[in-house]
Amino acid sequence: MRILKAIGLALVGSALAIGGAQAQKKWETVKIATEGAYAPWNFSGPGGKLDGFEPELAADLCRRMNVKCEVVAQDWDGIIPSLNAGKYDAIMAGMNITPKRQEAIQFSRVYAASPHGFGVLADSPLVKLAGTDQVLHLEKDADAAKKIIEEWKPLLKGKTIGVQGSTTNSAFLEKYFKGTAEIREYKTTEQHDLDLAAGRIDAIFAGYSALAGTQEKPEFKTMKIVGAGLSGDVLGAGVAVGMRKGDADLKAMFDKAINEAIADGSLAKLTAKWFKTKMSPQS
Amino acid sequence: MQPIGFFEIMGFGPRGWGGAMLLATLMTVGVSVCGFLAGGVIGTGVAAMKLSRSRVARIVADAYTTVLRGVPDLLVIYLFYFGGSLALTAVGRWFGAEGFIGLPAFAIGSLAIGVVSGAYQAEVLRGAYLALSRGELEAARSVGMSRALMFRRIVAPQVLRYAIPGLGNVWQLVLKESALISVTGLVELLRQSQIGSGSTRQPFTFFLTAAALYLLITTVSTWAFQRAEDRAMRGVRRA
Repeated sequence: MRILKAIGLALVGSALAIGGAQAQKKWETVKIATEGAYAPWNFSGPGGKLDGFEPELAADLCRRMNVKCEVVAQDWDGIIPSLNAGKYDAIMAGMNITPKRQEAIQFSRVYAASPHGFGVLADSPLVKLAGTDQVLHLEKDADAAKKIIEEWKPLLKGKTIGVQGSTTNSAFLEKYFKGTAEIREYKTTEQHDLDLAAGRIDAIFAGYSALAGTQEKPEFKTMKIVGAGLSGDVLGAGVAVGMRKGDADLKAMFDKAINEAIADGSLAKLTAKWFKTKMSPQS
Repeated sequence: MQPIGFFEIMGFGPRGWGGAMLLATLMTVGVSVCGFLAGGVIGTGVAAMKLSRSRVARIVADAYTTVLRGVPDLLVIYLFYFGGSLALTAVGRWFGAEGFIGLPAFAIGSLAIGVVSGAYQAEVLRGAYLALSRGELEAARSVGMSRALMFRRIVAPQVLRYAIPGLGNVWQLVLKESALISVTGLVELLRQSQIGSGSTRQPFTFFLTAAALYLLITTVSTWAFQRAEDRAMRGVRRA
């Protein structure tokens, strides 16, 4: 066990070397992690400078909370464990509230509610899907949503829909269209985009922000977002700030600041700037 | 974001990522070299334990190489980085310090790579030691060499000679393992490519460049190990 002891000593040594603990009783500074690789939510410049919707929103919220903020980039794979280890205090990285994540961390109120919908090529018969340009909540507008999903079913029968696996989107298709359409799962949204262009699949189902990003690419200029945009139920409650479960005071601060930003319209202004689509929560 | 060409995006202008990618390449090489050296120290110790007469030492060393070569590398990194920080923070609490005690990502990354590559290097070194001629060792002992002198003059040079090809293999493993260090937030080549492709929506540009840079590192290091092997074997006749 000599080796383990040596490792232990090395660990202690290196921690002492960087100067030990930083106390934080009252929230004077808040460290916020983002991915830095998910345009337009958050992304980096060549020099590592963070930019995008969330860094700007974070600056706005911190001004309201009257705290100093530091936004740092963190790889998506380690983003929740690092929060719980205390490397930073909050996550703003396009993270949807899901029951699974709620087991590990707590969320603030929603700051961006991106509806989810279908993307198809312009010459597809699916452009006739009902409800285009409408946004429905699966629970609040339950009747209207159910009606429209039933209207979609005959059109989608036997069609193949591409979706990113292990996401709220794939959970939605599984729940409502299993047995009607063929669901094909992909690792990234880029992959199903390419298969849509190649004609291997008839439609993709994704968040509006991802669809809008795809439409920006020259080869997808003619792609259309069709049918009603949906949210709620398995599609998740929306995107929110993630925090450690113990920090109830920080959650209260973020909730208050986000409510203020919604009330005075600055959140709507930010979403319009970065997404060019309706993304801010209704209330 | 209007589309820009490959050379502009990978160039060194204000919108170019060339500098960032090169810096990330240096980081990859740096963390790999440190990890490989740490692994060399660990590997030498473990190989000595594996060859020792003490049964306990042999069992411990065998357990070490079996576990560390069998467990996914990513798990070891998570364990060191998050486990280490949590343990330190807990220790800090005892002494009245509050808050999070972070560990430097570079040091932890090198150490995690070192612990894993140490297991592989131990096996390589053990194999190389067993290839030594027994007669030479007996001869050294019979002329009255102390163990330290024998190690320095007879054992170490020849073990290293036999170990070079195997160590070259481990080096390539280490290089690829360094890509996993990105979970700690260290911006090495792969993480930088992910950041770049996510930020510019040009995945092919970044990942192809990263592939080319990795290939460049491995090509250069293969050549270096080949040179080292040729030099070490210059006194040996080859069939």
